Amino acid sequence: MTISRRFFLRAGGLALASFGLEPLFLARAAYAAAPKRPPGRRVLVCLFQRGAVDGLSMIVPHGDPSYYRDRPRIAIPRDRLIDLDGHFGFHPALAPLKPWWDNGSLAAIHAVGSPDNTRSHFDAQDYMESGTPGVKATSDGWLNRYCQHQQEHNATAFRAVAFGPELPRILAGSAPALAIGNLQTFGIQARRPAVRDRLTRAFEAMYAAPETGLLASSAAEGFEAAKMLGQLDPEAYRPEHDAEYPKGGLGRSLAQIAQLIKADVGVEIAFADLGGWDTHVNQGASEGQLGNRLTELASALGAFADDLGERMRDVVVLTMSEFGRTVRENGSGGTDHGHGTAMFLLGGPVRGGRVLGRWPGLADEARFEGRDLAVTTDFRSLFGEVLSRHLGLPDLGTVFPGFTGGGFPGGIAT
Amino acid sequence: MHLRTFGIFFLLAVPTGLTAQTLTPADSARHLLNRLAFGARAGEIDQIARAGVLVTADRWLADSRPADPLLTERERTFDPARFTAHALAKRIEEERRLRRRAAADSMMDPPALPPARNPRRIAAAYQQLTMVRAVTAEDQLREVMADFWTNHFNVYLGKGADRALLPEYIETVIRPRALGRFEDLLLATARSPAMLFYLDNVRSVTPGMPRPRRMRDDSARARMPTGLNENYARELLELHTLGVDGGYTQKDVTEVARILTGWSIESPDRGGGFVFRARAHDFGAKTVLGVRFPPGRGEDEGVSLLKMLAHHPATIHHLSRKLCARLVADEPPDGCVDAAVSAWQQSDGDVLAVLRAIVHSPEFWSPRATDNKVKSPLEFVASAARALRVEPDTSPALAQTVAKLGQPLFLQASPAGYPERQEEWVNSGALLDRMNLAVGLAAGRVGGSRPDLGQIFPDAARPEALLDTLSHQLFANRMSARTREAILHELSDIPDPDEARRLATGLALGSPEFQRQ
Repeated sequence: MTISRRFFLRAGGLALASFGLEPLFLARAAYAAAPKRPPGRRVLVCLFQRGAVDGLSMIVPHGDPSYYRDRPRIAIPRDRLIDLDGHFGFHPALAPLKPWWDNGSLAAIHAVGSPDNTRSHFDAQDYMESGTPGVKATSDGWLNRYCQHQQEHNATAFRAVAFGPELPRILAGSAPALAIGNLQTFGIQARRPAVRDRLTRAFEAMYAAPETGLLASSAAEGFEAAKMLGQLDPEAYRPEHDAEYPKGGLGRSLAQIAQLIKADVGVEIAFADLGGWDTHVNQGASEGQLGNRLTELASALGAFADDLGERMRDVVVLTMSEFGRTVRENGSGGTDHGHGTAMFLLGGPVRGGRVLGRWPGLADEARFEGRDLAVTTDFRSLFGEVLSRHLGLPDLGTVFPGFTGGGFPGGIAT
Repeated sequence: MHLRTFGIFFLLAVPTGLTAQTLTPADSARHLLNRLAFGARAGEIDQIARAGVLVTADRWLADSRPADPLLTERERTFDPARFTAHALAKRIEEERRLRRRAAADSMMDPPALPPARNPRRIAAAYQQLTMVRAVTAEDQLREVMADFWTNHFNVYLGKGADRALLPEYIETVIRPRALGRFEDLLLATARSPAMLFYLDNVRSVTPGMPRPRRMRDDSARARMPTGLNENYARELLELHTLGVDGGYTQKDVTEVARILTGWSIESPDRGGGFVFRARAHDFGAKTVLGVRFPPGRGEDEGVSLLKMLAHHPATIHHLSRKLCARLVADEPPDGCVDAAVSAWQQSDGDVLAVLRAIVHSPEFWSPRATDNKVKSPLEFVASAARALRVEPDTSPALAQTVAKLGQPLFLQASPAGYPERQEEWVNSGALLDRMNLAVGLAAGRVGGSRPDLGQIFPDAARPEALLDTLSHQLFANRMSARTREAILHELSDIPDPDEARRLATGLALGSPEFQRQ
């Protein structure tokens, strides 16, 4: 029995309609009433590279002469990059991901981005998370809207989980979603287990029915999640298959996501982010700032895929970043805010080993506003394909209102 | 006499069909403290109930503000000179140089500046100063309204130059005008370097503006703005004044952006203040909301525009509604919004006059308006600290807990600020963390002085008596039977009165009724 269903029964079903005045609570109760299918095993992990990654030095268009012409100091030299298809190559720091490329479970998509031309980090992140570029009034995030409209999933407290102190915009909204700073410190904390149990018992009693509303439903979800975690013992977790997660936030988040997936607690959507991509100054070429960030990204993703092993069959990891960076390097050995960028798809359902998307080229006349990599794939086409083909969402219009672009880039097996 | 009229007043105010519940003087006092202050300090509910709730409300809402030498003393311990834009910019530049050198040497982790000069630490200290004020200031209304306007005219501390500009913005633009006239506040934010930078107005220039012939390098030249940036113009209409349904069009946004071209920031070596750059200004004719702005006008047409927006009916309604959402209900009833609108019109947008009208409206004192809002993270942390008379110090602990609960101070990237509607921010993880914080605060483990629970809740010998005191001090005797039972159940095997007091207090602060206001 699921958390929300049980909670719904405990809270007295339809009586709520007359007492509970909070629409969100009623919306949540409604989930419980919807028919369920068996727990899904398919998982989508979204990673947000905050700060706008330089897609051009992550997936290098080394066959495009403009790349070398405009980046005399920071281009990745041909003899250092990892060639993929004679035209594109990996930044050398992405070496840990090469095996996944070769076995066909890693794809890249280039020249992807927003139809909105903002070069402001916060606006562009906002649009990428709300899923409504150009529209600021959208109050919820597209991953939350997915959870709202795909109600057949057997929702547990862990259906949608973000790693971080607050719920990111992308998961904000009326469907339940958890924000977890750290699995080990989630829930009521006390040094002695007896004290923790005592506090938990007392708080749980206080927030139980006939208490209603958002506080009660949030608390019930929280206690349920904490209880499930208690049985997991996050501290004892050991990655499998010799997977070695790198130190730092991303490695920790991905290790915890892997743990939750393996524990079958009902994770369908997981989210984590990592910063440090805003390389205005001394970006570096094969080595340096960008290389260091990519090393962390690649080794964390590689470890995650190793650790999950067979379970990667049901998992897709999607990376995203709010925009790309200028083709031309700037006066401080860095790059400024641009437009199109590159993203990754990793996992069993991915049709990998290919750079997807139409490549607009870097010739001056092909550039967006005369300076940046043009966007040939609306990010909603990519995100939409993942929701539709990987998670089976029938109607994309509910998640990306007004978007009629279609045009799936073809990264997920049908 | 006041109290008596109060009771009758409430009976009349309750719409038929609702439970005929009325607010006791203590209920009203607690409600007032929850809405016009950051919650009740121990003992304060009784004090105000005795003095008269409306009398107290009127005193708080009077034009003359109380002096607070103790707060001035506390502020001084933060060494406020380091919060000026000038001082912060120097620290940030120092840090940048250090980073550049580290990057040049290909060091993985650049060395950090010592705490006293570290911009991040200074920002954390500034956040904590906000907590100290919220918890200890005598003039609570100013702190509540400073929080309201800081959020309304949100600026993101994480965006570039705003790392240096934000504290000065709050100190010199928001706080002195938090209880003044809306028009003054709007004009001051429009001229503030923090806002002009945050919403990119500094990058908005008339298309075709000649570029300076000589520039440091090509890259600086390439970064020179070449046309309009509508960011500020749009948020000015959508968020700061008219509201999203305020009846403006995209054409209006563009015209507003044209009027505000040239509103910019002086270079740092000339003080970094507001400057009007005629070179960047569009001197053509414009029309906004049907009002024509003739050609040839400079900075003054922006001032006329802002005054026009400040007095626009849509603005008055938008702001009145938002104030009522903060003070009465997330979805405010029409009655108090109407009262606020008419007070706004009569007083020419005097914030105190509008607040007086809201507080005097029957909707404010309706039993339906009490405990109908969930405290924001700032409200929760500040009210818990106040309830226990905790004295926060300069360590950033309390500000960090607010961040942990999901709304770090001055770090909301979206220009909309943190939403007033609880649906958008209450989440399970943060709610459990509130419970942890409640327990930690009662045990003296979080930020500042250890609370003297023995003094605040003296009767701990019998669990029932302890619960009565807690209910009295924290909830004006309205602790729910369920919360009471849950706490009593846990106290049954705890003989030590101090331990019982700590546990009971922590549980009470973590209870659902303490999350509400």
